[in-house]
Amino acid sequence: MTTPTVTGAPSPRFLPAASDGMAHDHRGSWLPNGAMIATRIMELRKRRGLMIALVFVTIGIPTVFLTVRLLAHAFAPHSYGSAGGYDIFSSLVAGVMFIFGFIVAATLGCTAGSVDLTEGMFRHLVVTGRSRLALYLARIPAGLAIIVPLVAVGFTVVCAVCVFAAPTQLNYEGVTVPPGLSHSAFEAWAGDHADKVICNFNYNGPMTANVRCGNGPGGGPGIQVGPGGVVPQPTSPATNRAQAITIADQNYVDYSGHFLSPSISLMVNAGLWIELYAVIGFLVGLGLASLMGQRTVPVILLIVLEIVLTPLLSQANIPHLVNLQRGLVGLATSHLEPGGLPSVFGGMHNGQAGGGLVTESTTVAVCVIVAWIVVWTTLGAWRMVTRDA
Amino acid sequence: MVATTIEEVTSSRDGESPWAVETHGLTKRFNDNVAVDEVELLVPRGCAFGYLGPNGAGKTTLIRVLLGLTHADAGTMSLLGYPVPHRRDRALARMGAIVDEPRFHGHLTGRQNLSLLAAAREPAARTRIEASLDRVGIAHRADDKVSKYSMGMRQRLGVAACLLGDPDLLILDEPMNGLDPAGMLDMREMILSLVAEGRTVVLSSHLLDEVERTCDAVAIVDHGKVIRQGAISELLAGSAFELQIDCSTPDQAGFLLAGTEWGSGINVGPDGLRIGLVPGTDRKVVAEINRLLVEGGVSVYRLQEIHASLESWFLEVTTRLGAPQ
Repeated sequence: MTTPTVTGAPSPRFLPAASDGMAHDHRGSWLPNGAMIATRIMELRKRRGLMIALVFVTIGIPTVFLTVRLLAHAFAPHSYGSAGGYDIFSSLVAGVMFIFGFIVAATLGCTAGSVDLTEGMFRHLVVTGRSRLALYLARIPAGLAIIVPLVAVGFTVVCAVCVFAAPTQLNYEGVTVPPGLSHSAFEAWAGDHADKVICNFNYNGPMTANVRCGNGPGGGPGIQVGPGGVVPQPTSPATNRAQAITIADQNYVDYSGHFLSPSISLMVNAGLWIELYAVIGFLVGLGLASLMGQRTVPVILLIVLEIVLTPLLSQANIPHLVNLQRGLVGLATSHLEPGGLPSVFGGMHNGQAGGGLVTESTTVAVCVIVAWIVVWTTLGAWRMVTRDA
Repeated sequence: MVATTIEEVTSSRDGESPWAVETHGLTKRFNDNVAVDEVELLVPRGCAFGYLGPNGAGKTTLIRVLLGLTHADAGTMSLLGYPVPHRRDRALARMGAIVDEPRFHGHLTGRQNLSLLAAAREPAARTRIEASLDRVGIAHRADDKVSKYSMGMRQRLGVAACLLGDPDLLILDEPMNGLDPAGMLDMREMILSLVAEGRTVVLSSHLLDEVERTCDAVAIVDHGKVIRQGAISELLAGSAFELQIDCSTPDQAGFLLAGTEWGSGINVGPDGLRIGLVPGTDRKVVAEINRLLVEGGVSVYRLQEIHASLESWFLEVTTRLGAPQ
């Protein structure tokens, strides 16, 4: 082996020597720097198709839905109810934003976790000498910096419309009722509107009052038909009042869950709740895609998990697999759902804890969520560190 | 030589080895296939070093092992004097590399791709983006999406990415791929200018002509093993060469020389007489042949030594020559 000599003195470099900055270079550290996160945000943000899909699902769908309702109510207020209000809010949050927020976040996570590999940039990044763990971890704040604001904007639109376009009167069981009454005030109001309460409110108990409802003899609640088909005489106002108060007492829990518009505390809690699920979706997608080294299959798997498996397994009664069912992150997150929202995966929620869902304590639910985040993040990071580039 | 090398490396501090790349017994297997087979490689600093081999010889695999893109199964290695993988981050901080074809995020511009890579390097790397783009000649297309780049432009962008770290060592895997003749000339000049700045360039290629024009030293790899390495001039000097004789009567000249010690290598053809000479033949032999021919009545018009090209030498030393397909 002969060492070739380079003739002449080296010409000046076109740039300052790299070794000047080596003392401040912590590229072996597992912590990503701000520039890595910022450029990763840029890389994700520049994916036009993905961003359009994310914006459409998180902001577009609720906005279009609410806009249509606003227009319909504006042009035909008697046929179409208010665009906003508590009912619309709870339906949109639990029925749309929770599930689709998870799916779009998972899609973003799968993209962030796989594109460096599939597009050939991973080896360029590894050759920089930067810790592979830092390269992985840089994707987390970058992805969250995109998905969290998007979900927040979509949720803010929903909140704004539901508050500012809320109905002016509360319609409870077909009866216009003043909103926000206390228990005693609700009973007092029921006593003053005994006929409406007796005829329209749900009641499970002995009926002592007889009143004529608007839909004819024998056709509505509160009508007592005597032996031989004889319609009994209407009872006294005092009897009716007492009956109405009893019915109101039974209905108060349900009534108290109905509002003209969502309360601030409900909006804050619901917002944090859907953001939590979006964060989970992103981290699971990131880890799964990093583990598998591709995007399409993990996205499909997570959509199937969210749309098919979780709703089915959240309600099915499978005695030997109940603990496995409790391990579903969607079920666990649904158990953290704020009071005042309908159950995400079916069954009643408000006032009937868990409804038809597989039961699970809050502690277990939190543990399941933490486990999903930790396990998938660890698996993704491990694969990132060990895989051939 | 190896013993000396180990001694030198052992006695030097990290980053101060005389060798830019040093491997001993480096081995990488894929199941039963040994892609890199106990490679002993020494790349001196400050030169252009060609890493030559036929397709499938294990060139890219060795580079991937050196860069930490895949792990080695056995052996030791150091880059710029830093033991690898123990201090790979320190070594890579002073290196740039293209492995396989350069691929980037197609939806980003060239400049944005470099920003992404510079962010993973030291802070100063971000200040070198413009200069790097300028140097490889794609500054005017830096704001176009990479998906619109030709293969040659992506090669240049790959080199620009290498330059972000102002590297002491560049490892370029087939950098001429996809380049037109002008692009190859530019790339060659760029590599030479990088070497002139004191950097080491390891050029993996199967384009022997380009390597011969660009590199000072080469290693030949075949079936995962390094079978020759050294300065090109010395390697070729050690190979056999021919003496081409342009004379009045080649047949008579052949008859005159048939009884000499060079008689076994005589070949008379339409372009004159050729005599094969063993490696290391003294130049006085040429004068002696000339004297014999003139004294024998043959008019000699020209005598020319024809040395083997890198290509013919490469084919001679690798097993690909005459190997069944």
